[in-house]
Amino acid sequence: MSSNKHSSTDLNTRINQSSRSLFLCTTAWVATTAVLGFGPKLWWDFDVTLTLIALVLNLIAGIIMLTANFRHLMSMDELQKQTHLEAMAITLGVTFIATVTYGSLESVGFLKDTQPTNILFVTSVSYIVAVIVLWRRRTSE
Amino acid sequence: MRNKLKVFRAERNWTQADLAAALDVTRQTVNAIEKGKYDPSLPLAFKIGTLFEMPIEQIFFSGAEEA
Repeated sequence: MSSNKHSSTDLNTRINQSSRSLFLCTTAWVATTAVLGFGPKLWWDFDVTLTLIALVLNLIAGIIMLTANFRHLMSMDELQKQTHLEAMAITLGVTFIATVTYGSLESVGFLKDTQPTNILFVTSVSYIVAVIVLWRRRTSE
Repeated sequence: MRNKLKVFRAERNWTQADLAAALDVTRQTVNAIEKGKYDPSLPLAFKIGTLFEMPIEQIFFSGAEEA
């Protein structure tokens, strides 16, 4: 089984590398999002050229982050992969329902100002909860 | 689907971690397969068969079949 230790290291190394890459790409995307959000008002007084550059950089960083996320998923073993894919399916459904319901709150007069970004919170929480619940259900000793 | 993975692993004095390392999966995945909470993919089932040097139907069988 000596060669097997090498395989396990490979899996761990793969996951560690892809996690690090995903963290860096996500950080870069958050940074470019912050620049796009605050730059026009605080730093360059709504200069169109600089705003367009910030927008393109944000889109590029977003695409790179998506690629890193996909690579991270592919680096996992099959049970981890299935757990994350199922969590994504649950998250898609929860996000869809939450978006429709939350959007309706404004049209029926329960809320005056709905923020689309609030849905990101629902998406994040439902994904994290789904991964934890699915993983624990399958791997509990 | 049921399996005799735990029996064959024990016969060889391998830990779950040893088997996981050989199969390039996590120890939790081996545990989930042994407990019948997760059915491995066909490639992984063949990998397990190759590792134990026996056909996969000797390791995995349907719930209706006798172990």
